[in-house]
Amino acid sequence: MSNGETASTLQQFNTSTSAKRYRPFSFSRIYAITINTVTELTRLKVFYVLLIFGLLLIGSSIFMAQFSFQQEFQILKDVSLGAISIFTSLLAIVATARLLPQDLDDRILYTILAKPVPRFEYILGKIAGVLLLLAISTLVMGAAFLLVLYIREQAVVHATLQQMSNAPRDQVADAIRIIQSSAFNIDIFPGIVIIYLKACLLAALTLFVSTFATSNIFTIVVMAFIYFIGHLQATAREYWLHEHSSGLVSRIFLAIVALLFPDLQAFNLVDDIIAGTAISLSVFAKTALLGVFYTTIYTLLATFVFYGKEL
Amino acid sequence: MTNSAVAVHGLTKIFPVPFHRQSVVAVKDLNLRIEPGEVYGLLGPNGSGKSTTLKIILGLVSPTRGGTEIFGCDSRLVESREAVGFLPENPYFYKYLTGKETLRFFGRLCGLRGAALKNRVNELLDLVGLTKARNRRLGTYSKGMLQRIGLAQALIHDPRLLVLDEPTAGVDPAGSRDIRDLILELKGRGITVLLSSHLLAQAQEICDRIGILANGVLVREGHLQELIAIENQTELVITDASEELIREIESTVARSNGKLIERRKSTTTLERLFLEATRADETKMQSNEEARNEK
Repeated sequence: MSNGETASTLQQFNTSTSAKRYRPFSFSRIYAITINTVTELTRLKVFYVLLIFGLLLIGSSIFMAQFSFQQEFQILKDVSLGAISIFTSLLAIVATARLLPQDLDDRILYTILAKPVPRFEYILGKIAGVLLLLAISTLVMGAAFLLVLYIREQAVVHATLQQMSNAPRDQVADAIRIIQSSAFNIDIFPGIVIIYLKACLLAALTLFVSTFATSNIFTIVVMAFIYFIGHLQATAREYWLHEHSSGLVSRIFLAIVALLFPDLQAFNLVDDIIAGTAISLSVFAKTALLGVFYTTIYTLLATFVFYGKEL
Repeated sequence: MTNSAVAVHGLTKIFPVPFHRQSVVAVKDLNLRIEPGEVYGLLGPNGSGKSTTLKIILGLVSPTRGGTEIFGCDSRLVESREAVGFLPENPYFYKYLTGKETLRFFGRLCGLRGAALKNRVNELLDLVGLTKARNRRLGTYSKGMLQRIGLAQALIHDPRLLVLDEPTAGVDPAGSRDIRDLILELKGRGITVLLSSHLLAQAQEICDRIGILANGVLVREGHLQELIAIENQTELVITDASEELIREIESTVARSNGKLIERRKSTTTLERLFLEATRADETKMQSNEEARNEK
């Protein structure tokens, strides 16, 4: 790069379009951070490992054909939805825990925030990136599960048709209807949506913890702790209310505990789906709203802490 | 009246130390003004408060007392950063992005898009000499290349103020000279440059004014030539002087009230020697290669 070249390039600057005037809120800035976060996470090996494990687990359910078809479908749904739930939760925690500390360690955060980018947009971009990745992972695993379920259902239908080749048509139709109803259940879809919302909640909570954590490991350990407490807190709450009076102090205390440790068991609709119990619209809406509420609250808390953070 | 490019007034930053009663005073009652178009060097040893001052100017750290302004805008406000480009010390960028993708990312953060963004990215890659490496991932870039892409991202939104934290740290002499030339070109274009550096010789070459920080206190500040001039000494540089002429000058000095302190041969700089030697070597290798190709 000679001096002459530099000067001519700098001349071009004067003729090129200048950056637009600063706007306090910009979707395009958030979008840039979101897409970059998705790219960053998809380049992580842990993402592929988790996804492959999830898909393998779902796929392994194919080899459960020694059971009756009702049992087989039940186990398939149990294992697959359980796997989707665990792997999206793990992915939410592991992927989010590293985002802020990594950017801070590499000083990329300085470069980004030295641009006209408000801190809340950085946080929103990061969480949106994680939520998008979780949506893609949930869709991939959900589609794999439904495909396996469909393949198994078709195999059972085919075998039944062969076995009942001489049976009356009504009997065959009944048998097919029973197979189809025990395989597919419309409640699978809201179940998967709730699993996704639980992962979103965990991602937002992880982001909040990482705004004041000193390392990735600290965040992951704290989140593992919260994960287990979150699954046990409903039982503990019932025990507490049973043993103690349900006065104002107790209720405030329980509300604080519920904020710090979200009731993750409330997001467990898998048992109902497997048992074939219909998930009512009100239960689904209530659980979904709870997930959105927690995700919003934790994102706001993360933004609040990050605003005051000395970089 | 035009605003100063950077105004720092009564700036104090105290970092509390957890679980200790004492706290660390990083910057103490700092006042400085940098005028538009200047190249200002903030110098000082490690831990003198240079980086903290730069971070406060960029709004990354909040001051305990006092404040900073960029072109009259409080630097705690996000819009003040519209006028600033920043290159941190030893920058790391997203290793999985290519040079072009990195500039596109930072351009989008500054509100650029479409053809304007594309053109700006191409211009900057050309400016910093990375056009050939535009599609290589940053994970494969050398330290000097990373520094250059860092400089390009700092310039992406055509800022009026460039803040450079150790811009040539870890860069070889040739790369270092390129960055120095670029800073001087930017100055020629009216861009204000605030840089912190350990490399005093380089700061001496490019800075109009300097401030020296020690333990968070500004101990010296002013125009470089005024600060380094020794008022009662004069240097004469003579080419092709005969031994007789030199003896005559020495005897004249001895007869007067003056005192000859040192007589020595003029020297080139080590940097110039290095650049000449490496360029000569490169030229020799190129001509050998051409000769081989002709055969």
